[in-house]
Amino acid sequence: MAGEPVQFMSQMVSIEYPAPEPTLVSRHFGEQLAAGRIVGHQCPRCGKVYVPPRGYCPVCVVPTTDADEVEVADRGTVTTFSVITPIQYQGQEETDDYVLATILLDGADMTVGQQRLDGIPIDDVHSGMRVEAVWAPEAERKGAAGPGPAGGLGGAVTGWRPTGEPDAPLDQYDEHIL
Amino acid sequence: MRDVAVVSFAQAPLEQPPGQTEAMMLLPVITEALEQARLDRRDIGFTCSGSADYLTGGAFTFVQMLEAAGAWPPIPESHVEMDGAWALYEAWVRIQHGDIDTALVYASGRADPEALREILCLQLDPYYLLPLWPDYRTMAALQAQAVLAATGRTEADLAAIAVRSRADAKANPNAVVAGDFSAETLLADDYVVAPLRPHDLPAIAHGAAAVVLAADEKARELSARPAWITGIDHRVDPQYPGVRDLATSPSARHAGEQAGVGKGPVEAAELAATSTAEELVLIDALGLDGDVAISPSGGGLVANPVMVTGLVRIGEAFRQVNAHGRARVVAHASSGPCLQQNLVCVLEDR
Amino acid sequence: MAATWKLEFPYRRSVGPVIGEFLGGLRDRKVFGAPTPSGRVLVPPLEYDPDTGDAVGELREVGQAGVVEGYAWVPRPESNAPLDRPFAYALVRLDGADTAMLHALDAGSPDAVTPGMRVRIRWRAETTGHITDIECFEPEPS
Repeated sequence: MAGEPVQFMSQMVSIEYPAPEPTLVSRHFGEQLAAGRIVGHQCPRCGKVYVPPRGYCPVCVVPTTDADEVEVADRGTVTTFSVITPIQYQGQEETDDYVLATILLDGADMTVGQQRLDGIPIDDVHSGMRVEAVWAPEAERKGAAGPGPAGGLGGAVTGWRPTGEPDAPLDQYDEHIL
Repeated sequence: MRDVAVVSFAQAPLEQPPGQTEAMMLLPVITEALEQARLDRRDIGFTCSGSADYLTGGAFTFVQMLEAAGAWPPIPESHVEMDGAWALYEAWVRIQHGDIDTALVYASGRADPEALREILCLQLDPYYLLPLWPDYRTMAALQAQAVLAATGRTEADLAAIAVRSRADAKANPNAVVAGDFSAETLLADDYVVAPLRPHDLPAIAHGAAAVVLAADEKARELSARPAWITGIDHRVDPQYPGVRDLATSPSARHAGEQAGVGKGPVEAAELAATSTAEELVLIDALGLDGDVAISPSGGGLVANPVMVTGLVRIGEAFRQVNAHGRARVVAHASSGPCLQQNLVCVLEDR
Repeated sequence: MAATWKLEFPYRRSVGPVIGEFLGGLRDRKVFGAPTPSGRVLVPPLEYDPDTGDAVGELREVGQAGVVEGYAWVPRPESNAPLDRPFAYALVRLDGADTAMLHALDAGSPDAVTPGMRVRIRWRAETTGHITDIECFEPEPS
């Protein structure tokens, strides 16, 4: 309307970036994933195992390499979880409530987050649950895992299902919640 | 005021092993700066970093970088979404509180030159300028045109700055571009944005740097020749270019005065000029005469690791004192288009 | 061609009364400037005088033509440039203003851009209340 001040200005800010190159560490992690193995790096100083491997121990701040690679189990304990009610923002793909779980894999000292649980009713999800990986068929596993869905595991593990084991006691994971 | 000195400086080598994360590039740089200062990470009283998540587009990237500093058990730390020189300023202020004697300052960045053109537009006025996307080369060119018009200097004078910087850079293993060039050859290139040609603009690089600060007797314990910060100040000019005289930088002048540049002879000045014309503005603003060695490392033109360049200038100034025995050196960092915001630091041997 | 990815932010910015009045003016093909207590007229308007911090006064209309005070010729415009052919970014001080506006100048060739030349606004056919309602500046016919 003529003479009226403008109140809002719309602006789409769009920046194009080169796709990040998978690092050597994540590329190797992805190759192992494609072969059905979950690996981490074990710090040569403190012995902690990080999955996915970062190329260094963030506590001791020393580099780690392939020489420090160890395999961890494809099963573990749900330490914590969130029930997400998806907000329909632009680009949102989810419609129904869903759970993202944090899992401490057997043999690892750091959890993997943002994991999808397969076929478990939301009300049944609880800390201490024992779960195992649901692997994508070998031919469908994506190779190099970088910063990607499901903490880097999403290229090969489609979700986690209950193992049926009794819950892990709290003292087995209370130092590793997040 | 407590006396604070730079006691060590380390920079990531230009040649990096392939396939690293930014944190992996930064980790050995911090380790080296600490080793030079004979400190363990756990000895550090305060940690402050400078970076810009927009460079790679990853939200909270700077939090991941903290792993390269070692943040467990939890450490007191802070961060600025700015060049690491401003992280150094914050660390200097923190030390003034009197309860800690050392600080670790670091900066890192992996800027893509194409994306950078858009990214740096995001710091411009969002209502009046961003929709027109005048990139950093355009802004530098507007300043260059103003400088040439106001001073009577020529494009050949700008080329001479590039020639000198690249020649000096031969001794700098971190220079992206170095060597003996002829002004005639450089001037034969097409304009990027007139009046600037490729040699007038900075060589964008990936990088990481770390500096350790220490106070009073602690500094003397950690370094045989600390570079004492006898003045440090930063100022900012108005943001809209049309209200400024682009041929000048009052904020650089004011920061230089507050830092006490003119209080004594200056032997060398490491300037974070990221266009040849910016060097002319800064020399005038800081009152540097013909006896001053300007950017002996080659300066921001020969290597511009965005968000690290200013911290590197302070580190190079430290080297001028610590390794080359100079008595009094100026370091400069800038932020924003056309030297809009400037930090000036005076380092002395005492 | 290397793989890329896009980071997008669909901003919706509130502009406030000063910028809002200026943008409303552009929609109506008028240019407003902000007078300061110190006597300057800021175009485009800022909310406060950058020299003194004083709030600006009531906006008043300024001219639609003015003088080029600075410029930079772009021989190879990027895809997001205001014009799709070589042009100059220019700092234009409109008649009645004491500060310059940064915008595009469609002069045709770099030789046609000279300091102090007079230029005028070329309005976009449809105006919406945005800085790009000014499509660009063009040389004022002499």
